[in-house]
Amino acid sequence: ALFTGSRLLKGYRGGHVVIRFALGGCANRPFFRIVAAHSKRARDGKYLEQLGCLDPLPNVHGEKVAGLNLERLRYWLGCGAQLSRPAEKLLGLAGFLPLHPMTVTGAERLRQRRQREQQVGTAPADG
Amino acid sequence: RPAFTDEAVQTLLYKMTGIDLHKVFRPVKKELKPPQYKLMTEAQLQEATRKAIEEAKEKLTMPPVLDEREPIDDVLAEDKFLEGTETTKYVFTDLTYSTPHRERFIVVREPNGVLRKATWEERDRMIQIFFPKEGRKVLPPALFKDEHLGNVFQQDRHEDVLNMCIAQFEPDSPDYIRVHHRTYDDIDKHAKYDLLRSTRHFGGMVWYLVNRRRTDGLLIDMINRDLLDDATSLITLYHMLHPECQSAKEAKDGKLKGVDLIKVFVKTESQREGYIQLALQAYEEGMATSTAS
Repeated sequence: ALFTGSRLLKGYRGGHVVIRFALGGCANRPFFRIVAAHSKRARDGKYLEQLGCLDPLPNVHGEKVAGLNLERLRYWLGCGAQLSRPAEKLLGLAGFLPLHPMTVTGAERLRQRRQREQQVGTAPADG
Repeated sequence: RPAFTDEAVQTLLYKMTGIDLHKVFRPVKKELKPPQYKLMTEAQLQEATRKAIEEAKEKLTMPPVLDEREPIDDVLAEDKFLEGTETTKYVFTDLTYSTPHRERFIVVREPNGVLRKATWEERDRMIQIFFPKEGRKVLPPALFKDEHLGNVFQQDRHEDVLNMCIAQFEPDSPDYIRVHHRTYDDIDKHAKYDLLRSTRHFGGMVWYLVNRRRTDGLLIDMINRDLLDDATSLITLYHMLHPECQSAKEAKDGKLKGVDLIKVFVKTESQREGYIQLALQAYEEGMATSTAS
């Protein structure tokens, strides 16, 4: 045989399993697959298992559709997989994990920025 | 109170459906094949007819009749500080292959931060997107709106509409129930009972009419086609469902059978007495002439 097993099975030094988003789709049309893969692999490369998908563009009814295979997610989390930050935020929004602290902080910062803009908007109108 | 699924009710409805083999195995639009001819003895022909009747029985299993489902209204979490971060809602579906569709978790995170369970329409749509079923579309076709159903009924295609409805909707969804009731009302108005006679929808139609006490048209149709057994089973079903009416008590006291049962029923319960009496008279004259000749 031309290629023995060792050429096909990649060995890593270090590296761990992560659950993250792999980007796919076409120009101006993103589509994320929620995927369990080694951290050293390319973002869209060979993964261990697909655990779901997320469509970031809203559909006809104004909703962003996401599917999560919770049973396999639980398996990989039990095997010691880590999560990327957007994956953690998505699972916090879904209710599977508690809400990510950065989601709360981001909401707070956005509210403060909007308040500041509003104040700046009213102050030049007065004076 | 007897339900749709009781043994006795089901046997009565099945007897009334009738088995017209020519209509059950009428050619469905498939790819064309030349007809096959077989040479059989009498015994083999009887065997083949018996097998055909068994297959017809399977094809005639009645779809379930359920009450309308309650709307889902369950809030899982409320996070008011998330308001204003998102502009659209997120719909999360659990894609575990082994959970039944009824128990699947489908939650919606609204832009105002509240996490709630999805409504029945959202559930059906998501399940069709991720686990597509044959014959079902993600968005229900425009055919099932009231204005378009009228067109279909003018073309006498009630059976096709009901088959499409069974493929598209769940049996307890309000759309399924509305389409079925519209179809049955239209058939009752124009007395087109024969369209559904040898199909699996006949039982559901009879159940609907008997529950609302609108059995006169059906009774007239049965007597005109000389189906006295079906008429008697219709009246027995009526008595089972409404045991407090007068004809039921008289029938139980007198243990009437056949034409007498129909006459008692006609005197007490029906609105169109005259028509039914005429039909009965015509039937009896027909019986008399046939026995005489």
